[in-house]
Amino acid sequence: MKPILRIQVNGRWREEAVADNTLLIDFLREQLQLTGTKQGCDGGECGACTVLVDGRPRLSCCAFAASFEGHHVETIESQWQDGQMSPLQQAFHEKLGAQCGYCTPGMIMAAEALLRTNAEPSEAEIRQALGGNLCRCTGYVKIIESVQAAAPGHRQTTGEPA
Amino acid sequence: MNTKPSKGVGQRMPLYDGVEKVTGRAKYTADLFPRDALVGRIYRSPLPHAELIEVDVSAARSLPGVVAVITGADCDIPYGILPIAQNEFPLARDRVRYFGEPVAAVAAVDEETAERALKLIRLHVRELPIIDSIAKARAPDAALLHDKKPGNIEREVHNEFGDTAAGFAAADLVREQTYHAAEVNHAQMEPHAAFAAWEPEREQLTLHTCSMVPYYVHKKVAQCLGIDTAQVRVIKPYVGGAFGARVETLNFEIIVSLLARAARGAVRMQLTREESMLTHRGRPESETRVKLGMTRDGRITACECEVVQRGGAYAGYGIITILYAGALLNGIYDVKNVKYDGYRVYTNTPPCGAMRGHGTVNTRVAFESLMTSMAAELDLDPIEVRRRNRIPGPSVTPNGLRVESYGLPQCLDKVEEASGWRQLRGKLPKWKGIGMACSHFVSGSAKPVHFTGEPHATIVLKLDFDGGISILSGAADVGQGSTTIVAQVVVEVLGVDWRRVRVITNDSAVTPKDNGSYSSRVTFMVGNATLDAAQKLKQVLVEAAARRLQVEPDQVECLGESFHVLGDPSRAVSFSDATAEALVDTGTLHVKGTFTCPIEFQGGKHRGGAVGSTMGFSYAAQVVEVSVDPVTCRVSVDKIWAALDCGFAINPLAVEGQIQGGVFMGMGQGLSEQTRYENGKMSAANFLDYGFPTMAETPPIEVFIVESIDPNGPFGAKEASEGPLAGFPAALADAVRDATGLEFHEWPLTPERIAKAMEAREREQRAAARKTVRQPATAGAA
Amino acid sequence: MQELDIVKPASVAEAVSLHGGAVGARYLAGGTDLVPNMRRGLQKSRKLVDITGIEELRQIAFENGALRIGAGVTLEALCASDLVRRHAPLLALAASQVAGPTHRAAATLGGNLMQDTRCYFYNQSDFWRTANEYCMKAEGTICRVAPSSSRCWASYCGDVAPAMLVLGAEVDISGPTGNRREPLAALYADDGLQHLKLGPGDLLVSVEVPAQSGWTAGYEKVRVRGTIDFPLAGIAVAIKREGNRIADLRVACTGVNAYPGLVPNLEAWRGKEPDEAFFAALEKAVRKEIQPMESTLTAAGYRKRVALGLARKLVGELFESAGA
Repeated sequence: MKPILRIQVNGRWREEAVADNTLLIDFLREQLQLTGTKQGCDGGECGACTVLVDGRPRLSCCAFAASFEGHHVETIESQWQDGQMSPLQQAFHEKLGAQCGYCTPGMIMAAEALLRTNAEPSEAEIRQALGGNLCRCTGYVKIIESVQAAAPGHRQTTGEPA
Repeated sequence: MNTKPSKGVGQRMPLYDGVEKVTGRAKYTADLFPRDALVGRIYRSPLPHAELIEVDVSAARSLPGVVAVITGADCDIPYGILPIAQNEFPLARDRVRYFGEPVAAVAAVDEETAERALKLIRLHVRELPIIDSIAKARAPDAALLHDKKPGNIEREVHNEFGDTAAGFAAADLVREQTYHAAEVNHAQMEPHAAFAAWEPEREQLTLHTCSMVPYYVHKKVAQCLGIDTAQVRVIKPYVGGAFGARVETLNFEIIVSLLARAARGAVRMQLTREESMLTHRGRPESETRVKLGMTRDGRITACECEVVQRGGAYAGYGIITILYAGALLNGIYDVKNVKYDGYRVYTNTPPCGAMRGHGTVNTRVAFESLMTSMAAELDLDPIEVRRRNRIPGPSVTPNGLRVESYGLPQCLDKVEEASGWRQLRGKLPKWKGIGMACSHFVSGSAKPVHFTGEPHATIVLKLDFDGGISILSGAADVGQGSTTIVAQVVVEVLGVDWRRVRVITNDSAVTPKDNGSYSSRVTFMVGNATLDAAQKLKQVLVEAAARRLQVEPDQVECLGESFHVLGDPSRAVSFSDATAEALVDTGTLHVKGTFTCPIEFQGGKHRGGAVGSTMGFSYAAQVVEVSVDPVTCRVSVDKIWAALDCGFAINPLAVEGQIQGGVFMGMGQGLSEQTRYENGKMSAANFLDYGFPTMAETPPIEVFIVESIDPNGPFGAKEASEGPLAGFPAALADAVRDATGLEFHEWPLTPERIAKAMEAREREQRAAARKTVRQPATAGAA
Repeated sequence: MQELDIVKPASVAEAVSLHGGAVGARYLAGGTDLVPNMRRGLQKSRKLVDITGIEELRQIAFENGALRIGAGVTLEALCASDLVRRHAPLLALAASQVAGPTHRAAATLGGNLMQDTRCYFYNQSDFWRTANEYCMKAEGTICRVAPSSSRCWASYCGDVAPAMLVLGAEVDISGPTGNRREPLAALYADDGLQHLKLGPGDLLVSVEVPAQSGWTAGYEKVRVRGTIDFPLAGIAVAIKREGNRIADLRVACTGVNAYPGLVPNLEAWRGKEPDEAFFAALEKAVRKEIQPMESTLTAAGYRKRVALGLARKLVGELFESAGA
């Protein structure tokens, strides 16, 4: 019997039967069908799987879902709210922060974590905060520009459990 | 809908499919896996070279939950991208030739069962010598990887255009140098994934895969399954980067299809990062010997070049790669005498293939490096030397390539000025330096890999009762933006409202065949085919509007959403009315546009002369500024200025992105990237050890677009993605020389490599100092 | 991934009791080191005691001139802590250089101090290691770095430990056999296979670090890329200056041995001027202390060179700034 995990995902509390050896990324992708979160490496090397746990960035490929009993997980799917793109999504779209798009969900979630604690990050602070997120397409230039463009419109959300 | 004609080209436009990407809604292959599909896994060779005596899968086959197990015995049809060099089986038969080569595969009810089944497979082998280097492959007594390939040579190329002996005789300075470039991998972010569904009742296969060339995959899958191509349907979902990694049919695509048929159902297959890198097809390690003759004023009189590439275990694109390495010695400077000798060598490493800048990069890096070094010897500025060797006007190169548009001089002007080159070169403080180099690339191979007599590109526009225009495109968007380009071209020509247009891509049952996203052909060829289709559709609509307006078609003006009588705007019909009229008697409209490169652009008449042929070259110049840490010997790239002549920027925003991405990939190759092998075993098959640059050490990349307006490109456009790459490693080494006084002939310029060179210099300096101390009398010291 | 049982204790006592020193049980905190290793089949644990819910492990306090930092404090929290930045900025500096920012948001101080040793022959997939017939550190008997050697040459690659060492940190450990406090240095052994002197079920609870005041300190690491990568070599230095003389000096290294270690016998230079003879002796002392082997893709010779170079540079720079 798989234990029941009580976890809040994108604002909604869920009770799911999850084996203890299920990685958070597999739980999100396979069980909840939240396929926006991507696996790019074999564990902890690329940042494509970045989600937020209690508002802080987390590599979902290096964590077990069972560890997050009672916690709040946010994925890229949470960024789309009230029928519109978030400022980060809008900026990544308009400034070409995404080319192939595979690193983008993780990149946007890492940027989301940054903007929640630093509303006006400098270029250096962006490079620092997103340094663990690899992108092979862009040379990062337009990703940095996207985060800068999103900063003014970024809604201050705490990401704390309701 | 809009009243004014919409603009399409020349606009800074977000990607047509960008919203899906930023919202996480874009479905990549693994995102589409049905939950009830079987899990496919590959058993890979643990040995780099061995004769297979027995592949024992009996225990795996009898494990509960295992539905199918296949081995090399299940497919005796070889495949390969080049019709003349198909020497690879999807699962090894008789012999394995590289570590990680697929030997068997299982389909099971879940991941755990598949994993357990792999562990039950037993190999009985006879180990063979591991040929993992160029030197070992070319040794006189080397074991041979393939029959009928003496010396492990896959292909030799020898050609001479002009008279190099006379050219060198006319030179004031002749220099020769060998350069070494490590093997690199595309390292696209999305690991390989595919799923195949076999319908036993219909005997049809549907394959979803992350390909750049779904059409080639379609052909090869049918070939290896021994079924008619009509029984296969290939769908390419969103693709998470490719850069050439997916520009030929890959073993896992055939294996998953074989498994699906064997299991009589659907099989999903997600490769690990390690497996994705083992599948490889990256840029080969290469040794490049260049010899240049130069006059005192910097004119190149002759070029001689010998390239040896470590090609890996199978043919792949190898013949094309070794031909490219020589062909694009031409087409960037006005050099009349060019001799080339190329050797592609088989080794017990994963097969190399095409990677951004296919075949041309390491040759260009070597050429540019020697050119700059000779300029320094002649006390000439390297930018000036390049100007002196510019191609004077539209011309044909010695090897039969046509240059119709040439913006390299403007590229040089841009980066020289923006970087402050004249103020900085040779004048920066110690440990800081600035360097430059140029590069170019084709806008599509003018002769397709598979010559069928068909047009080189086809686009279909479907217009139906609803007035919606569906662009049916087989061009594979892998992030570069080809889907956006075709939409822009259609809107530009028709002037219709953007909301009227949809782009449907890459379903072989729906979209027209396209050769695929290789050699930067899509914007040029598919762009031109789209232009043709849109113009034809416009003509159909104009004629329909003319019927409604009861005038001659040449009296009708198209304003996108409406059609007016020339000079009388009050007499107009709407787009919808024109569409309704156009559909009378014919019903649904399918308007087809095509493009074919004329024969005169298809290269020289010599053997292999089609490789490198194109209708337009992109040109790039870049300047790189660096700092070198004297303690850690780490090179930091502080700033990059890159200019590219892309003919015309259909989407300047996307062009910038391509230039930055191309330069970045050149930076990785220059600074830190290399595949590594431990006794034939690829041992840096992960993102930690492979080490492509992060945001932390990637500098600002300032981009300049030069528009030379190519006479044949769509709206004058040429390629924008591959050309900027090759300049970087050479410009980097040039900058490091400016910073340290040390000249490098090997890449990547890792801290370790720089430290070794510094240590060697320290030793020399100490030896020199000792010598001075021992000879006080001759030194005349007091 | 093997089948697992994850338990989540609410206190240190409960954690130790749930672990119980059982074979195959392990503590799990941030998971950034353990989980990738599990994915590669390097850790076969069946039971994980997830200690991230234990409040007392996440405390940072300053009492009696020393910082007390819970082992469960994340590196991100450690970097951001006002107490740490005020009383031991060196720790924040070193912690800020660990891996990438997302790793630091989850990775804990305890996990970093007890990070597994690393080796090119060890940090590979199960497929790769099987093909290589394993190594001494996992499932094999031979050290692939030095096949004739009777020991394992994997190297310790944490960034925070050397900083802790030069500040004289002590650790509190709870385990089935009781609680104990010992110098951080005593936690480590010169053995790539078993680099931690911990008994079964021992849990690192907290670290006590004397305030940095009076010391001028720095940490520098070298890696190929600007972030994510483990140190090829790292050097921490703490120095006290009186006039033109060295009053006290501590140097610690990481990435170049199986353990993070203090360079011994630097006391001899107390009261002396840092002249060229001193720097030559410093280099000699560091050279004697470190023993990088071919356990990384980057050659050992380079790691040795930069360890010496960084020690010389940091000591020189910190001595200068201590006088400013």
